Amino acid sequence: MDFQIEVNNSLILVNEGETLLTALRRNGIKIPTLCHMNRFSPTGACRLCVVEVDGKRDLITSCSFPVEKGMKVFTNSPRVIRARKSIVEMLLSNHPDDCLYCERNGNCELQWLAEEMNVKERKFFANKNAQYPDNSSTSVFRDPAKCVLCSRCVRICEETQYVTAIDFTSRANNIKVNSAFNKGLNISSCINCGQCIMVCPTGALTDISHIEKVQANIDKKKKEVIFFVSPSVTASIIEHYGIKTEQNPAWLISAALKKMGASKVFDLGVASDLNIREEARLLIDRVKNGNKGPLYSSCCPAWVKFVEEFQPELIPSLSTAKSPQQIFGALLKTWYAKEEKVMPDNIFSVAVMPCVGKKFEASREEMTFKGISEVDAVLTIREFVRMVRSNGIDLRRIEPVPFDKPFSASSKNALKLGYLGGKAEAIAFELFENLKTSSRETFKFNVPKNLSGRKEFKLNIGKKTIGFAWVSGITNAKAYIDDLIADGRSDIHYIEVMTCLDGCVGGGGQPINRIPDKTKNRKKACQDLEKFSPWDNPGNNICLDSIFRTMEKSPDKETWPKLFHTRFIERNVPK
Amino acid sequence: MQASIDAILERFPNKLREDLIPLLQELQDEYGFLSEEIINRVGHYLSISVNKIYGVATFYDNFRFGPTGKYHIRLCHGTACHVAGASTFIQELEKLLKIKHGETDKEGLFSLEVVSCVGACGLAPIIEINGEYFTKLTIDGLIDVIHSFRVKDQDIYES
Repeated sequence: MDFQIEVNNSLILVNEGETLLTALRRNGIKIPTLCHMNRFSPTGACRLCVVEVDGKRDLITSCSFPVEKGMKVFTNSPRVIRARKSIVEMLLSNHPDDCLYCERNGNCELQWLAEEMNVKERKFFANKNAQYPDNSSTSVFRDPAKCVLCSRCVRICEETQYVTAIDFTSRANNIKVNSAFNKGLNISSCINCGQCIMVCPTGALTDISHIEKVQANIDKKKKEVIFFVSPSVTASIIEHYGIKTEQNPAWLISAALKKMGASKVFDLGVASDLNIREEARLLIDRVKNGNKGPLYSSCCPAWVKFVEEFQPELIPSLSTAKSPQQIFGALLKTWYAKEEKVMPDNIFSVAVMPCVGKKFEASREEMTFKGISEVDAVLTIREFVRMVRSNGIDLRRIEPVPFDKPFSASSKNALKLGYLGGKAEAIAFELFENLKTSSRETFKFNVPKNLSGRKEFKLNIGKKTIGFAWVSGITNAKAYIDDLIADGRSDIHYIEVMTCLDGCVGGGGQPINRIPDKTKNRKKACQDLEKFSPWDNPGNNICLDSIFRTMEKSPDKETWPKLFHTRFIERNVPK
Repeated sequence: MQASIDAILERFPNKLREDLIPLLQELQDEYGFLSEEIINRVGHYLSISVNKIYGVATFYDNFRFGPTGKYHIRLCHGTACHVAGASTFIQELEKLLKIKHGETDKEGLFSLEVVSCVGACGLAPIIEINGEYFTKLTIDGLIDVIHSFRVKDQDIYES
């Protein structure tokens, strides 16, 4: 099916049916794009990818044009270069131009394009976009003035996440990306996954920053600012700084936070161990009681919000175990505060997470007690990196400092929560350890090769077979669950749903960059980090021993379940 | 007797995506505008995201999202009326009523809609208020017309 076409007077090999852009890029020809996203439907909206084709009157958009036999293409003729430059100049004509004050300064595709196209003077004078920013959401900040209408956020929200919380409204020069009925994101169907932030080429979509809040509390003498770092953050930090070290790289993060003025820095993985333990217990109960229907994981706050909004019938099937972040926050402000004799109000707890949805989770009403929130602030990896920089810390040269006791290390299984399929594996392992009939049985977990999409795994314990499944992306998840119900299947007992593709390694709080295969590499980094964990089994984590001792000493049935378990509410939103 | 939303929805039993615009038109004919409830119900019925429907509906000037005023002004902005100065009429009306076209004023008295051509080009410029036509208008005439409606409303209120 392959044939040749002529590009810039030389021949290249192309496959029938692919778009011109794909063929050109595969052959190493650089074509600038703005609205194009791999694996998404082409829109041809930004027109930056225009090329000249012999015999065609107009320039054509290579991103949406299929290759044809006998084509003669020019990708950098003067006409093409002129057109591309004009496009950027027009995009800039109504842009606010406040780059110095912009979150994406230095990491902005529009800035790069203006530089690439050699834009040196203002050719078009138009009224600056003057639209009110939307800061109603707990996680996502939207500034429509900086929007270039590339529709990447709209497409990812609709095609990957099913939610369609934002879409184009009005038309022509009044067109803008908006949430339903022109109301704030907070009362829209937005699930706070932050994938729109990850694809936005400019600073139109950013996270609601907690840096100021954290910095202000570090300055207060009375406050004890306690950071806890998610294990998967380390993987992204290694990637971001290109760190190679023999020691645990997580300790570099701990050291940096200490330098910034943290009273204590803990390993969030300890709470992951607790979460795995609690969720496995729920699953064992379900299996023993012969409960029909699968148990759904609930550690992804965006998935939880999706269920509450779109599929409230699944609420009883959601695991009531709190997410690791919230378990940790709850422990800090109750058990830890008591042990260390600090007032819970004087603890300012900060989670460092690869996720913006966690900001929403921390603000949920169920995640507070007596008016005190369990987690006071959540820093995304982007914010953490920014804080490291503004504090003048060189993470590559810092002396590692271990995490503080009593939450100093987590089990190997806690690290698995960072990527898709890991949670299911950890739960399967915990289940196996609890239910195995003889010590001769060994745990085998054959992870299917492909990282994305839906996967299933059957665990045999004694005479029982327990089915696990994992899926990422809400559109995939919804299709999978609909299939399960339509087929009337009852062989799947546990489903791990991750909103972001490939799990938290592709999360909405990750650094924004163009590194290829980053989710795969981060997953591998997470697996490599397992060698620093002293324990295989979450139950062996000695950090938990003292907590369990307190639990045994005062088996208070009121308090403990509240610490580790939560509830969900049905949400009525325009959907 | 107003037809219920359900009754109108049932006129489109196939629940196709392409039913969306005719359905919205019929609902607007019945209720005068598209309320949030209507859009939510349509979204649920056709299994289309509410935000998508809002996007489609805002694309067309024809759809309204708030109730019309007691006196609904339709101002013709066809070619002939445009040549006769309809643009200044829009500006004048917006100033007079303190609303933008497509909106309703706070008292719910006037609402303004700009339409393409009412088919009476010989009488341009032309406005229509609740089925009554005012032709070959001047700016002064326009002010008088609006004033007369204000007075009319006042009289009803006082008597």
